[in-house]
Parts: sequence; structure tokens; C-alpha cells
Amino acid sequence: MQKTFSRVATALLFLWMAAAVVFGAAADPDRLTRQANELMGQGDLAGAVEVLKQIPPPAGGGEGEAFVRSRLQIARLHFSLGEMDKALAAAREVLALYPDNSEAKNFVASVEQEGQPRYVTFLKDCIRFLPALAKGAVMTLLLVLCTIVISPIGGLLIALGRLSTFRPISAACWFVIWFFRGTPLLLQLFFIYYGLPSLGITLSPLTAAVIGLGVNYSAYLGEIIRGGIQSIEHGQMEAAKALGMTYGQAMRRVIIPQTYKRLMPPIGNEFIALIKDTALVSTIAMVELMRAADQLFNTYFNVTALVLAAIVYLVFTTVFTFIFEKIEYRAGIYEHR
Amino acid sequence: MNTDRQPLIQLEGIIKRYKNLTAVNGVNLAVYPGEKLVIIGPSGSGKSTLLRSMNFLEEIDAGVIRFEGREAGYVHRHGRLHLDRQQVVCPLRAEIGMVFQHFHLFPHMTVLGNVMEGPLTVQKKPVPEARAIAYDMLAKVGLSDKRDVFPATLSGGQKQRVAIARALAMRPKLMLFDEPTSALDPELVGEVFDTIHALADEGMTMIIVTHHMGFARELADRVIFMDGGVFVAEGTPQEIFDERMQNERIRTFLSRII
Repeated sequence: MQKTFSRVATALLFLWMAAAVVFGAAADPDRLTRQANELMGQGDLAGAVEVLKQIPPPAGGGEGEAFVRSRLQIARLHFSLGEMDKALAAAREVLALYPDNSEAKNFVASVEQEGQPRYVTFLKDCIRFLPALAKGAVMTLLLVLCTIVISPIGGLLIALGRLSTFRPISAACWFVIWFFRGTPLLLQLFFIYYGLPSLGITLSPLTAAVIGLGVNYSAYLGEIIRGGIQSIEHGQMEAAKALGMTYGQAMRRVIIPQTYKRLMPPIGNEFIALIKDTALVSTIAMVELMRAADQLFNTYFNVTALVLAAIVYLVFTTVFTFIFEKIEYRAGIYEHR
Repeated sequence: MNTDRQPLIQLEGIIKRYKNLTAVNGVNLAVYPGEKLVIIGPSGSGKSTLLRSMNFLEEIDAGVIRFEGREAGYVHRHGRLHLDRQQVVCPLRAEIGMVFQHFHLFPHMTVLGNVMEGPLTVQKKPVPEARAIAYDMLAKVGLSDKRDVFPATLSGGQKQRVAIARALAMRPKLMLFDEPTSALDPELVGEVFDTIHALADEGMTMIIVTHHMGFARELADRVIFMDGGVFVAEGTPQEIFDERMQNERIRTFLSRII
């Protein structure tokens, strides 16, 4: 009975294949794909593989999309059946024709990694991701350094403006602080990058990012610097004036130098926050560390990229903390007996 | 007295009001070159306010300040008195040295840096000249060996002597001392007193606000007793101290101090 059935089935298959040859249906990838999907739906993975194998390589280097898809599907099916060698063979069939196919490459890489110790896998991922992450990290560092140069200058101007007895200036500075501290940095970045073009001002992502971060951090530092200036004992200003100094001279020579030590801890804090806030500019088409890690994560579905990014951020913040402790010590050297 | 000479600084009808307090209420005063004037009086009598107004650190509400015979430091605007622009006021202050109760040395500069600061920043003197002046002044107050230390390492008496050197480096015509020994431990008063005494012997014009009666007795040509924003008594040290029984208020004040 079983024998009869298999004979019939074989005969039917031959007939069907003959018909297919006759009607050219064997070369119809869509039908084969559908058929394979049906078999997969019934749980017949091996059968699906057999069907997919009938999709031929593109003749004469033509459009090979169906072929590539079929072989990758075969590779995945073998993979889920635990047949690693066959899976690799299928993926390599693709690579033989299309050596740059990234999906096949990734597949080969991840299959080859199966069975390796985890740390080897991790290290290989690190090496693989490092170039892209390094580029992102350099961009992050560039953003941080630009903001560190801009924001203390902007902050000092805002602070002096706030302390001005000339009302329009102090009111304007108050407004800047009120606005930029009172709205999300993300929104400010969106406004600068996506909003300003409607006013006829189009900025590159880098320019927009530097302006956004620079203004936002200037507003924060402005308040910190104002507090620092006001914390200097009033007698210092009087002593400077008594010598005949102008307000500007007294500020420059006497008051502001004394604020350095007091300002280092809060400003250091802000700059640590800044290192992490640069991640927000990934939303305005800047490829910095966070964006680079995110892209790798989405391409390889591999958490290692995120872990690496976290480590780089930690390295940055640690180095900055260390530098700021040194600067704080140096700035206050006159207080050490 | 001295009517043949022009006063170095002259105050006419000085009034200084705070919110609901009149600190100085119509004071007239003339101080002549070389004179040593000591102002005494209880706390809150307005003597410090008066002294600070001579250096334009307090903005007066009414009155005239003449420095070397010329009206100085104020303009009339909207019927009120306003401190003039700093281009006018700063050069005036540069000619008047001031020493504060709490020294107010610049903590971020060395002793030498403190003393050089005026000549350097205000008078725009070149560094070698400013340094030479500072060396002289530190030698004068006996602190040449402390040139390169920061103020934090000094005793109170040393700090005040540096503050005196800092003021003297500007070659002022008039020195104002605002309770120069009040913040000092008693054993440190002597060194500051001696420094001021030496300065007086050189002929410096000085006005000293103090609670330290030694200043008044030993230094002063003239002593003013101030209370409630006005001059209550004025005279030579003998007149004030020996005939103090004349005035109830002076008697009470001095009995508390001495």
C-alpha cells in the first residue's frame, strides 16, 4: 500500500516535473517560493528545501534576487534543522555569485561563530564593530569639545548680562536662560535642524548640533557662572574699586579668577551630562557614537555594539572627571597651605 | 586752622540715607594735607559710611565732595545726585588709598601680586616698574620675606600690612583706614599700629575710623566724635579725652571702650 503510494507519488512528481519543463514552470521562482512556503507551513522543512533548490542561478548574471532569497532561505532552514554544513554551503552559493552580499556574509559569520566560546565571539564582534564605533566616538568627542569651548564663553556673557544694571540686557539674558532651560534639548535640536529651514536658514547636521548644544549649555553655565560671581565676597569688588579699577578690570582681574575653583565641580557635572546629551543629536542625522551603535545593533541584531558604546561613554566620562579634578585642584592652589 | 591752605578733601552737607535710616546727616569736614584725623564713635554712628563716601564706595544722597578743591565724583540728573561715570570716579579712587577692616586681599594672587595689582592694572605701569614699587612697599611694611606666598598663609596682622602696602603702591594722596585693627587678635594690633604710625611720620594725610583709642591719642592731630550721623565733638586728642566729662555721650562711649 505504502509502496504503491510512493510509486504514484514519484510518477506524479515526474509528470509534474515534465509538465513543468514543458511549460517552463520550473523557472518560475514565484510559484516555487509559494510552494515552499506551503510546505513550510505544513512543517515539511526538508521538502521546502528541495523545492527551493529548483530555483536556478540567474542565467548570464542577470537579476538574481529570487535565487539569493531562495538560497538564504535554504540556509536558514538547514540552520534550524541543525545542519550547519549544509546551511553554510547554501549561503556560500550566494557568496560565490555575489561576494558582497552582506546578509549572506553575516549569516556565514554568525554560523561560524556558533560553538565558539562566548568571549571569542564577543572579541570578534568588537573588532568588527570598532571602526564604525570609533568614527562615531570621534564625532561625539568633536561635539563635546566644540560645546566645551563655546558654552563657557556664552555662559560668561549670559552671566554678566544677567548681572547688568541695564534692564534690556539683563531681561534678554533672563529670557535666554528661561527658554533654553525650560524646553527639552531634543526639541531645541529639532527646531534648529528641521524648523529653521522654513525660515530660510538651512544648517548642516553638525552645525545645527553644535549650535543647539552650545546655546543650551551656555544657558545652564550662565546661571552657574552668575552664582559663582555672586558667591565671591562683596569686599573683593570693593577692594578692587578702592584701588581705582573699573568694573571690567575688577571682574577680569579679581572676581572671575576667584570663581574658577568654585565653578569647576558644577561645570564638570554639566560637561559629564553633555557627553551623554550628545546622544540626542543622533536624531538630527548626525552619526555619532549612539547612532553608530544603534545602526550596528539594527544591522547585526547584536547587543555587543551597545555594550561597546556604553564602555566608550564611560571612558569619556571617567577621563573628564579625572581632568576636572585636576583642574579644580590647580584652580584652587592658592587655598592650599 | 590752616585756612591759608587748600583742603585735600572737603565735605559739605553730606547726607546718606538707607531705607529708613539716615546714616550720615549733614556732615561738613575739611582735611588738610599732612593732617591725621581720627573718627571715633559707637557702632552705627555713621563713621564708616562717611569714610566710604569719601572713596565713592557709598553713593551719597546730598552734599558736595571736593577733592583738591574741585567738586568730585557726582553729577546732577533729574534733580538727584548720581555717581559719575567710572572714567571719572576710578581715577579719583586711584588717588585715595583705602584699608578695610577685613583686609580684602586678593586670595588668588601672591603677596607681591596683590601689591603690584594697582600699579599694573590701574596705572598701566610696566611689570618691572610695578615690581620695584611693590618691593619698596613690602619693605616699608616689613614683609619682604613674604612676597611669594599667598595671603591664606599670613596672620591677620601680616594681611593688614600687605593691604596697607597694596594701597600705598598707588602713591595715594590720602589714606583712609576703616577700623584697620578691629578684626585682629589683640597681640597683632601692635604691628599694624606701628606700620600706620610710621606712615604718619612720613607725612601721609590720613583719616582713620577706629575703636582703638591708642590711634587717637598717639596719632591724631584732630579727633572727631561721631554719633547718630553727625559730629558730636571735635578737637585735639586732649580736648576729647581729657575733657570728656563735658559730654554725656562721649563719656558713656569712652567708658565702654577704654
